[in-house]
Amino acid sequence: MVDLEKLRTVAKETVSRDDVKYLIGWRQGTYGFRVSPHFMKEPEEAEKLIFSPLCSNNLATYLTSVEKLPVPRGEEPDTRKVALMVKGCDSRAVVQQIVEQGIKREDVIIIGCPCDGIVDLNKVKEKFPNVLELVQARWNNGNVVFQLPEGEKEVPREEVLADKCLTCRYPNPVEADVMLWEEVKTRGSDEYADIKEMEVKDVQEKKSYWQDKFSTCIRCYSCRNVCPMCYCEDCILDRLNPNWIFRSVNATENMAFHLTRAFHLAGRCIECGECERVCPVDIPLMKLNRKLYKETREIFDYEPGLDLESKPLLASYRPDDQEDFIL
Amino acid sequence: MYSMKLRKEKYDDFVAALGKQNLYAPQKKGETLVFAPVEAGSSIPEFLNTTVPPKNIVYPQTETLYCFQAGDTEMSLPEGDEEKVVFGIRPCDARAMALVDDLFSWDDDDPYYLEKRAKTTLVGLACNAPDNNCFCTSVGGGPASTEGLDVLLTDLGETFFLQVLTEKGEKLCQSLGELLEKAAEDDLKAVEKLHEEAEQKISRKIDTEGIPDKLMGLWDSELWAEISEPCLGCGICTYLCPTCYCFDIQDEVEGYDGRRCRMWDSCMFGEYTLHASGHNPRPTNRERTRNRVNHKYSYYVEKFGKIACVGCGRCINLCPVNIDILNILTKVKEAL
Repeated sequence: MVDLEKLRTVAKETVSRDDVKYLIGWRQGTYGFRVSPHFMKEPEEAEKLIFSPLCSNNLATYLTSVEKLPVPRGEEPDTRKVALMVKGCDSRAVVQQIVEQGIKREDVIIIGCPCDGIVDLNKVKEKFPNVLELVQARWNNGNVVFQLPEGEKEVPREEVLADKCLTCRYPNPVEADVMLWEEVKTRGSDEYADIKEMEVKDVQEKKSYWQDKFSTCIRCYSCRNVCPMCYCEDCILDRLNPNWIFRSVNATENMAFHLTRAFHLAGRCIECGECERVCPVDIPLMKLNRKLYKETREIFDYEPGLDLESKPLLASYRPDDQEDFIL
Repeated sequence: MYSMKLRKEKYDDFVAALGKQNLYAPQKKGETLVFAPVEAGSSIPEFLNTTVPPKNIVYPQTETLYCFQAGDTEMSLPEGDEEKVVFGIRPCDARAMALVDDLFSWDDDDPYYLEKRAKTTLVGLACNAPDNNCFCTSVGGGPASTEGLDVLLTDLGETFFLQVLTEKGEKLCQSLGELLEKAAEDDLKAVEKLHEEAEQKISRKIDTEGIPDKLMGLWDSELWAEISEPCLGCGICTYLCPTCYCFDIQDEVEGYDGRRCRMWDSCMFGEYTLHASGHNPRPTNRERTRNRVNHKYSYYVEKFGKIACVGCGRCINLCPVNIDILNILTKVKEAL
């Protein structure tokens, strides 16, 4: 059960420490069902923090995305720790970043929030359109209870949760310094039905499916920026010389962009689904990422973001690795 | 200005009549509503507004300025544009085009943009039921604003009520001939009532009085760090903004064939204004967010006397981390 009091007490204690820069958590948004990431620096801000089925953002992305300016001469760099609130999927992103040496374990304080599933705002909007007043939500036996202006309304989880949460196998953080409440039971199992459905289509069908989906892409790069695993300091998309992928927005370049990104995430994507959530033009990006997840799992029996002691897939070799896919 | 009516059941004939002129209207592409060429047999879309604004019709996201051959001094211009009709553009998006006209005809005329604008007829559709985050009335617009439009339609259920606003609009209506009917006095009354009611339905508001004058005083304010902290630096707020017009120019060369392209740029991107030296005057999200707000609510006002925001609400609806322009403006007012 979510214990907000515990969450706020831990948050207060954490940000009071001298070796902590700030704590990144969630707070109520500015309207309706929205929630915003919150960078908490003072203990007094604890009351702002929440944890609910509305907390979709994977905050692990901030561990690598915060821009660091050159340190002025005579000043020491800020080496304080960052405290981070994580759901199950988010914790896997942190673990994978550590495994890849993108961040160091000792630089982050992981505050685990066992999670019974996050809502998909598109599904919520279908059920409750035109809600501008601030809405809160909580779990009740896995279902979601919304506190709407007209009163409480309980909705079965199948009707409002994000698809990734309905098949989630890791609802509890896999790594945490503090676990805020008892673990929740794993309700989902993932048979990759959506991927199997795609796999049986012929090549031409798949090609036209993706060409159609990518045709609406406006190259805002929100999928890349929100992704906790997309943290290259020098991304090929921003490179002008050599110009690997043209800035031109057209079928070829859009496809090159999305396929390149998908391949870069093979064996690294931890299925938090943030790319698909933020895409303003609803490209089903997780279909690409999950296909590669399924492949690497089947071929190499590898799942990223579960074990701090593991090695990145592409940096590990076993003599018995399958190689029958090599032509 | 005069008024006419179009029966909705005649939409097919309307499409057929305008078929030669490249008719654009809101269409579902995948799961997303965008402006796209209308094909025969398509129905009238039901929509609040498109996810992607129609600005790309007059200001394409990627536009070839000219083509060249490597090692050759000759260059060739792209083909000219055709006449277009945009059906169902919302008043906010049309106002946005009118606002951006000032920029593209300011010091030098921009032939690429202005030619497209001159050849585009905007048939607007008044909003009878504005969306949650619409705030057009706070920035000088309204759900039935006619600024920038050639024709304004109002949905009366069975029919569209047409107000012809410009010569371009009149030309269009004349080409429709028999398809249009005369409007009755009662219709006009019904339309006025709908417009009034729609304005009442706008729930989010802000009084922008004083903001443009005082924004520069907040240059070093802590506010910008606080607002921009969760920003991911993606291009959603700017690419989906109907008034954002920043662009970059790049040469794209394949083999010997090259083209010089103008493409949308976003002040929220890290490489925006990045100097060749490696220095960037806007090194972090803090400066970039400040630039986005100041550009709309201060610089543009200073240069052209207008706020460069039409209150369409797209940046609020789609920001992945709930950075909300109205919330920013409220905080700006509090900090003044």
